[in-house]
Amino acid sequence: MTPRFLLLLAAVLSATLAAQAQFDFGKLSKAIDKAKEVKDAAKDASKVAKGAAGIGIEEEKVIGDSVAVEVIGLYGGLVRDEAIMRRVNLVGRALARYSDRPALEWRFGVLDSDQVNAFSAPAGYVFITRALYELAPTDDLLAGILAHEIGHITGKHALNIIRRDELFSGGGSLLGKYSGDFREAKSKASSLDAQLQQFDIGVGKITKTLLESGFDAPTEYKADQTGRDLAKLTGYAPGGLRAVLAQLQKNAAKPKSVFSTHPPLTERLKRLPNDPAPVAVEPAAPAAEADNKPAGENK
Amino acid sequence: MKTTVRSTALLAGLLCATALPAYETGGPAYTKRVETNLLAEPKPLAGAVGKLGYGRKVKIAEVRGSWLRISEGAVSGWVFAGNLSASAPDESKGLDGLPVAASETTATAAARPLTPAAADYAVRRNLTGAREDLDWLLTECQAITPEDVEAYLQENKKGEFQ
Repeated sequence: MTPRFLLLLAAVLSATLAAQAQFDFGKLSKAIDKAKEVKDAAKDASKVAKGAAGIGIEEEKVIGDSVAVEVIGLYGGLVRDEAIMRRVNLVGRALARYSDRPALEWRFGVLDSDQVNAFSAPAGYVFITRALYELAPTDDLLAGILAHEIGHITGKHALNIIRRDELFSGGGSLLGKYSGDFREAKSKASSLDAQLQQFDIGVGKITKTLLESGFDAPTEYKADQTGRDLAKLTGYAPGGLRAVLAQLQKNAAKPKSVFSTHPPLTERLKRLPNDPAPVAVEPAAPAAEADNKPAGENK
Repeated sequence: MKTTVRSTALLAGLLCATALPAYETGGPAYTKRVETNLLAEPKPLAGAVGKLGYGRKVKIAEVRGSWLRISEGAVSGWVFAGNLSASAPDESKGLDGLPVAASETTATAAARPLTPAAADYAVRRNLTGAREDLDWLLTECQAITPEDVEAYLQENKKGEFQ
């Protein structure tokens, strides 16, 4: 047999098999399509389900985006003011450029909330509340706050919550090929639903830690130190965060609404170097004048 | 007087120690960008004399303020300390078999919208308003270019422009 003939034979066989496969599985196409819909939606979530074996950047983006949506929804939506947004992002990205994860897509937003707090989500999301933003009229002070949150992201502190709790253990891949009989396809779709449910629970767990219980005290102290060093390295006054914390300690009329997810201010101040407070220079745009927009539904 | 000198020396020592605690002459450092330029002088606009790829271990030959003279083999030059890392890249591997840290270099390959899985998550959780806010944030952030950040650093004397 000549090579040409063999090639022709192979092509004919392939075409025949493909046609056969199409015929055999034609009845199952509806079920498989349904399963594929779920599969596509879960494509990224499936990577999250890989759990402690190692969360890569693509998986982190899915988690980060989902947690960011939750944070915005639960914390009053975003302050939609371009000047504020630009200032926060320029200071934030200046810091992030010299962090240990400079290539992340860093995004900084201001939450429309009267509570004094700040949060970070995986993949480079940093949020501070409007009330905290208003306490940072200079870039040195703002940098102190943002650098602390950057420290949580470079330390992958939120991702460690997933590892510890093993919410995604045993997830396996959701991207198995959809072949075989109808029962198998249906069974796999059901499994994908379960994985999505598991993913939602995982995101909820991270959000709950970020917004309610907070990280443990040593993790916060570590972020304080990392943030202070990053601010200093970038050229901001190293005492920015300390000055904000000291101001809060002085003014705290309602202690529970001030950094409620963080350790006591006294403890944090005790552990930070005694850097002098930065000199005030430039006023920030007042957030109160922002063209605010109602928040997400989940207030 | 003796006490004063000792106090001054102690203070100076503490100041030096807190400036760049992780870096010292003869010690290691690691590159953390896809490409790190090595400069002829410890100045941000000095000419490049070489470049190194991501995650390379280098030796610190000299520390001058926030600038480090580093070398790797025959390549040697100055780098702002903020462009290096004191710790080695994460060598652990994801299930795809690739080092987790290496994937960091592709994080900003292109501006991106919300991931489809997160968009679906927002729908499942009835967070469409929050999703609109996040979309707005992503658009606004995309409008701030790396050149804008560079200009901010220069104008405000931050980073290597201090």
